[in-house]
Amino acid sequence: MTDNGGLSRRTMLKGAAGTAFGLGSVLALKGFGTSGLKQDPATCRATDESAHDKNFVISNWPLYIDEPDKGYRSTLQDFEKQTGIKVHYTDDVNDNSEFFAKVKNQLGACESTKRDMFVLTDWMAARMIDVGWIQPLDPAKVPNLHENIIDSLKSPDWDPKRTYSAPWQSGLTGLAYNKKYLKKPVKQYGELLTRKDLHGRVTMLTELRDTMGLILLSQGVDPAKFSDAQWNTAMDALTKATSDGQIRRFTGNDYVQDLSAGNVLACEAWSGDIANAGDDNLVFVPPEEGMMIWADNMLVPNLATREGNAEKWIDFYYDPHNAAKLADYNQYICPVKGAQKAMEKVDPDNVDNPLIFPTDETLKQTHRFMALKEFQTREYERQFSNVTGV
Amino acid sequence: MSQASEGSRSLHLSQLTKEFATFTAVKALDLDVPHGSFFALLGPSGCGKTTTLRMVAGLETPTSGSIRLGDTDITYAKPYQRPVNTVFQSYALFPHLDIYENVAFGLRRRKSGDVDRQVKEMLDLVELGTQARKKPPQLSGGQQQRVALARALINRPDVLLLDEPLGALDLKLRRAMQIELKRIQTEVGLTFVHVTHDQEEAMTMADTVAVMNAGVIEQMGAPAELYENPRTTFVANFLGQSNLIAGKVLGAEGDFVKVDMHGITVSIPQERAHVKTGDGWVGIRPEKVLIAAVGEDIDAPGNHLDGGVVTDVSFVGVSTQYLVRMPWGQELQVFEQNTGRRRLFNKGESVDLSWRPEYAFLLDASQDVNAGIEDD
Amino acid sequence: MPRQGKGRYTAYWLLAPGAIWLGLFFVIPFYSLVSASLFDPNGSVLTGYDVTYHFANFGNAIKNYYPELLRSLWYAGLATLVCLVIGYVLAYAIAFKAGRWRNLLLVLVIAPFFTSFLLRTLSWKLILSDHGFVVDTLQKVHILGSDGRLLNTWFAVVAGIVYNFLPFMVLPLYASLEKIDGRLIEAAGDLYANPFKAFFKVTWPLSLPGVVAGTLLTFIPAAGDFINAQLLGGPGQRMVGNTIQSLFTSTQDYAAAGALSVILMALIVGLVMVYIRRAGTEELV
Repeated sequence: MTDNGGLSRRTMLKGAAGTAFGLGSVLALKGFGTSGLKQDPATCRATDESAHDKNFVISNWPLYIDEPDKGYRSTLQDFEKQTGIKVHYTDDVNDNSEFFAKVKNQLGACESTKRDMFVLTDWMAARMIDVGWIQPLDPAKVPNLHENIIDSLKSPDWDPKRTYSAPWQSGLTGLAYNKKYLKKPVKQYGELLTRKDLHGRVTMLTELRDTMGLILLSQGVDPAKFSDAQWNTAMDALTKATSDGQIRRFTGNDYVQDLSAGNVLACEAWSGDIANAGDDNLVFVPPEEGMMIWADNMLVPNLATREGNAEKWIDFYYDPHNAAKLADYNQYICPVKGAQKAMEKVDPDNVDNPLIFPTDETLKQTHRFMALKEFQTREYERQFSNVTGV
Repeated sequence: MSQASEGSRSLHLSQLTKEFATFTAVKALDLDVPHGSFFALLGPSGCGKTTTLRMVAGLETPTSGSIRLGDTDITYAKPYQRPVNTVFQSYALFPHLDIYENVAFGLRRRKSGDVDRQVKEMLDLVELGTQARKKPPQLSGGQQQRVALARALINRPDVLLLDEPLGALDLKLRRAMQIELKRIQTEVGLTFVHVTHDQEEAMTMADTVAVMNAGVIEQMGAPAELYENPRTTFVANFLGQSNLIAGKVLGAEGDFVKVDMHGITVSIPQERAHVKTGDGWVGIRPEKVLIAAVGEDIDAPGNHLDGGVVTDVSFVGVSTQYLVRMPWGQELQVFEQNTGRRRLFNKGESVDLSWRPEYAFLLDASQDVNAGIEDD
Repeated sequence: MPRQGKGRYTAYWLLAPGAIWLGLFFVIPFYSLVSASLFDPNGSVLTGYDVTYHFANFGNAIKNYYPELLRSLWYAGLATLVCLVIGYVLAYAIAFKAGRWRNLLLVLVIAPFFTSFLLRTLSWKLILSDHGFVVDTLQKVHILGSDGRLLNTWFAVVAGIVYNFLPFMVLPLYASLEKIDGRLIEAAGDLYANPFKAFFKVTWPLSLPGVVAGTLLTFIPAAGDFINAQLLGGPGQRMVGNTIQSLFTSTQDYAAAGALSVILMALIVGLVMVYIRRAGTEELV
């Protein structure tokens, strides 16, 4: 009897402990919800220590700045010499979304990212400004920016007066092919989706706005203004090409190796990448349907303690001579007026390079992607991601 | 058990040689093992007996020579093709199979019918019928040994090889298993070739013992014959103990050979004298030597040695073992039965020794007097 | 008594670092993951996610991503099988035939670990590239058509997984093969088993603990792997790891990502339990 009683008591205790653990777990789960990430840059800000703190921390994309070489002093060295500021330059931005994930916990909770500046593409810059993570720049401290920025980049709809952002470089998204392996050049973006001799030898970019923008263009739709139905048609074309095996991969910056090796014959490409690849067989082609244009923007995040230094940096790179040196290396569109003239001294070969200084004619063929509402972004990105896998 | 006799054949090794990279393990070995005998290969470790056994089993390939079973040459046959089974030294039972399946292993490979009955019979024979579903590690050493035996026996091989099968057992169990093995061998009537370094084990069990040393057989015969009339110093020392005393042959006299042994003339029967001229070793087993106080009569009409002094006495119960220093400095061993009729001698006492001539033997002086003495 | 009192807590002190480690890096992330799987799917990273115990997330995740789930299990299973065949032969050779080269060969097996996982996988892009040696050769002998390719196909993904996880198969296999007493195989031969039978009746069953450990160590990480599919596959070779990664980082749909992760975890745990029960090895635990 006593044994029996002990056993059932033990069973009961075990049951009670199990139930308590289960209930506790269910309640504990509740605690792992996330809170909203909106902040107010006016309150979530640090005092500027630039006057006595001569350091400056910036995160940028890989291979996006000129490097010192024998007999060549880089713009970064010029800046350090000129201002006495020590620059801590890291190339840890590989992808807009990935970088967003990296800093969202701090910025969303009004904590410091330990950075004074990072460089992100238009749509991500717009998103961060929208949630109040970015500090406004003092116009008086960046006179070169407002003086010299080229007209086409002067007032995007997400930052009409360039209060929060300054383009680092701008670029074109179009086509590229390898003339060693592909004898019949590509001219239209639509060919990537349909040409049989390119089957399985095509890559496209994982940037939704580039890829979908160009597909919309190839269907005669303006990517700056499209309807859900038009989006769906474009999405269908992409889905079909992907499931048919026409498209081999969706890539980030790494498409150049595949194109160079001949694994890929033709692809969607960023202008500067092709110029920088060092492979004469690679040809960048502005598609006949038009191109996408974009810019990567310098942004000062909340709680940056050296905003003054950051503004000096912006102002420095908006000096035409410095801008010309940078563009000469990067081969991307230079956002600074007067740089073309300065290029005459820096590198006469590049004065008429249409990839650095596009003519008005070229710029007329470029398009921007429509600004998306948050719910649209989510739905479109989900659809795009389901197809591309990224 | 009639099955065993059918097709069973005797084993013949001829000029069998095995060379390894750095040494020769077996040198031109000739051996005939008659069908149905219990044959022991006896020798110290490294003498080549295990190599010989492995060649018979097919686990080593001979360098030269041949192995025949009856009229069939099996020198190069694969192990699984020979009607030979082995009881391994460490038993080598399959740990993932239970006792029943271990024993059934050979039958199943040969797709033999009636496995269940045969396995049960065999397990009963080795008295393990109740352990059939246990795994080997759950059994004691002696039980494992019996499983190993059953696993080999069940196949009714022409020759059953036993590689030091009792080596891992303690002394008491070993004695019991020796008797058991002998019983089973008599019962099933198969040819057993038993490899061991234990001379007592070999003599207890085998009909015929071959003493092996350094890759060759020194002497072969019935246990008593080997013991009583060893042909080499190695056999004399390895099988039991011997007193070996340097001597010089004086000549033959009738059925005896006369030998001068440090000034004493001793007689050795012709058929036990393995040298007829020159120097030799006079051999006598310690238990054949009689001991008596100086001047006392010794009941042994024969070789008589004076002037011994007892230097050590050890009383071991059934007998007393003396060490007696002789005038030429050598210490001889003497074992005396404790019949109770004689008194014990003390250390330092002067004694006379004697033995009957028919017990002595004479060996070649060129042989190492210490051959076959194991250092313990 | 004082001695006893002092010793009583030693075990707890020794356990503490491990327990704290597990608490921080397993228990908390586990709860966090499970809670993410129950997020309100209408939340977003910017507005925040509430835990609303929205169990429909699981159904939606299965409905939307079952091809990736199945493909992951299929690729991982196939790769595990290939690893087992290659790994067994390799481990067997090292354990029984290598002699004095044994240690060198073992070092060679783990040598790839000395370079980064990513670099090794990237080098497979070169090996399998369309104009590389392998594809050229296969095209010449007409195993591949003239426009056939290996890179960005299922073959490349499975090959990459096999390559990357092979050491996890070889080492446990080697450990259990090496323990097998050679005399058991001799005994099998002595008992009328030809080499083929001896292998399947003795060597194979005795190596089963290694087989079970090796297949688990290969299958579990392979099923959740995404690097191989990302670098060597194409849009048609996405595995569930890729989907989870993109749901977390690109789409930032934490609810779907969490649900899918929990489903993957449950699926693997379930499969492993069935497998271990079937294999019946106590040695594993």
